[in-house]
Amino acid sequence: MSETILLPKRLRAPEVAAFLAEIRRKSADGGLTVDFREVEEFDSSALAFLAHLTDCEPGLGVVNVPDALARAGARFSRRPGDHWPEKTAAETSGNWMGRLFRSLADRFLARLRVLGQYLAMLGDEIYHIGVYFRTRKGVYPGETWNQMFFMGYRSYPIVCMLLFLVGATISITSADQMRLFGAEVYIADLVGYAMLRELVPLMTGVILAGKVGAAVTAELASMSVLEEVDALRTMGVVPERFLMVPRLLSITLVVPLLVAMADVAGIMGGMLVARITFGMLPSAFLKQMVNTVGWTDFAWGLAKTVVFGWAVVVGAGFKGLTVGRSAEEVGRATTESVVLSITSIIIIDCIFAFVLY
Amino acid sequence: MDIISAQGLTVGYGAEAILRDLSFGIPGGRITVVLGVSGSGKSTLLKTLAGLLPPLAGGLDFAGSPVDYSSERSLSALYGRIGVLYQGGALLNGLSLYENVALPIRMHYPELPEDMVGDMVHAGLAQVEMADAAAKYPAELSGGMRKRGALARALVLDPDVVFCDEPSSGLDPITSSRLDDLLLRLKETFGMTLVVVTHELRSIERVADQVLVLNDGRLHFAGEARGLAESGDEFIRTFFLRKVPT
Repeated sequence: MSETILLPKRLRAPEVAAFLAEIRRKSADGGLTVDFREVEEFDSSALAFLAHLTDCEPGLGVVNVPDALARAGARFSRRPGDHWPEKTAAETSGNWMGRLFRSLADRFLARLRVLGQYLAMLGDEIYHIGVYFRTRKGVYPGETWNQMFFMGYRSYPIVCMLLFLVGATISITSADQMRLFGAEVYIADLVGYAMLRELVPLMTGVILAGKVGAAVTAELASMSVLEEVDALRTMGVVPERFLMVPRLLSITLVVPLLVAMADVAGIMGGMLVARITFGMLPSAFLKQMVNTVGWTDFAWGLAKTVVFGWAVVVGAGFKGLTVGRSAEEVGRATTESVVLSITSIIIIDCIFAFVLY
Repeated sequence: MDIISAQGLTVGYGAEAILRDLSFGIPGGRITVVLGVSGSGKSTLLKTLAGLLPPLAGGLDFAGSPVDYSSERSLSALYGRIGVLYQGGALLNGLSLYENVALPIRMHYPELPEDMVGDMVHAGLAQVEMADAAAKYPAELSGGMRKRGALARALVLDPDVVFCDEPSSGLDPITSSRLDDLLLRLKETFGMTLVVVTHELRSIERVADQVLVLNDGRLHFAGEARGLAESGDEFIRTFFLRKVPT
């Protein structure tokens, strides 16, 4: 049975959407005709609608298209082949397994290239630090102090508070198990060892990735987008030295202070819980802790955190200085920088664990 | 005598060429305007001339010496002889205008005492009539002031060539005209070579001595600016008369 849909005088996006739904519903029965005779007012969606009906809906009748609409339709014709890039032969050739393998291989090689660039930047930064110490040129006076203020002074409250809570949590979660074996006194060893060797470095690294790494990437990426990095280069200033050396020196100098404060905070958290749950005196807690935990544990924790700090700053600088040219990329680079930093921290921590234990 | 000469220069990003096989010379002590529609590759060419983007093919001579884009020493020598005024000024936001202008001096000559640095900065800022704004930060300056401040920074070490990337963009006609006056004064007073990328007709008519016209990925025209508007070339007439050919 044939049916005709008469389109209204005004054919714009809302009418197009409504009629398209009706046409789809009725066209299944076959013999449907769309009559454009009444159409006087139309916009680009009406042109796209006409093109869609004639090109993509075989078996549908399109009649009485007004001259103005037909002329405009011909002028604004949008067929993918005309304006949009064709898929390359590589994208369409082969079976789906081949394309999947090619796509995975491309992604893997792209990641490998990024890893290579990241390591190259690490090498470059070590070189720039050497050049700076030799020549005392290329870094803005006072910038290292500014960065130390930001990375250290602005970070220590959050680092101490979180590590205090982590110390308390370790103490609380292990208290019951310790009590089962009558080994309450060893809670001091557990808290001290876990905090100094593992939790303080790891948590400090993660906090630095979120706070310092994100800020460094956002700042450098904005500078790249605003051509400030290019401006530095054409002034004869090496941006990788001018911007990165103060940040790397600063993280190297502030991390020991942060680690020392975080260790104290974490141990105090554990000690407080031990006092509340077991009535263990702080002096007894400390005495028991120093039997197991020594300067080597503190030093290893410190060394690990300095390496994490470098991973954060180099990763942040890498993402910030290799950003594209749009504001959108600043946000993307910042997110990627945090992910990259945390991933590197965990991988490095795992390597340390294999080496140390 | 050309201070910059390009031979068969092809520039672009990655493997994609935006401009192909350009050969031209930029004479010393004159203002050369690089002209073209949006997206024609003007700023890309400027980046290559300023040593920021290696060409895909061809080469560039600066003051008679070839520029080696893979050599830090060669690029460093180039950077020491040029100044660049970027589209948005590109002043460092964390530093005051004084510190921005002092930056190239401090980086290249850290041994200079602070009073000498101060004198050089004030001379640079006075050239662009910005001495009063020395203590302000870029965020406190208007668009035109930021550009003049950036020009002071580009000029502070007396470069041989100053590249200006769309100096008039985003400025009102009066501020834009003052900036043009400044460029003319720099040429006339110091015999400076300026390479200006723009598509502002008023600026071109006022300041250009020589014009490079880019179109469709090629160098369409290179020559004297005088009488360009009366040119028989259809693209150039289109550009100057603002009439799209039918």
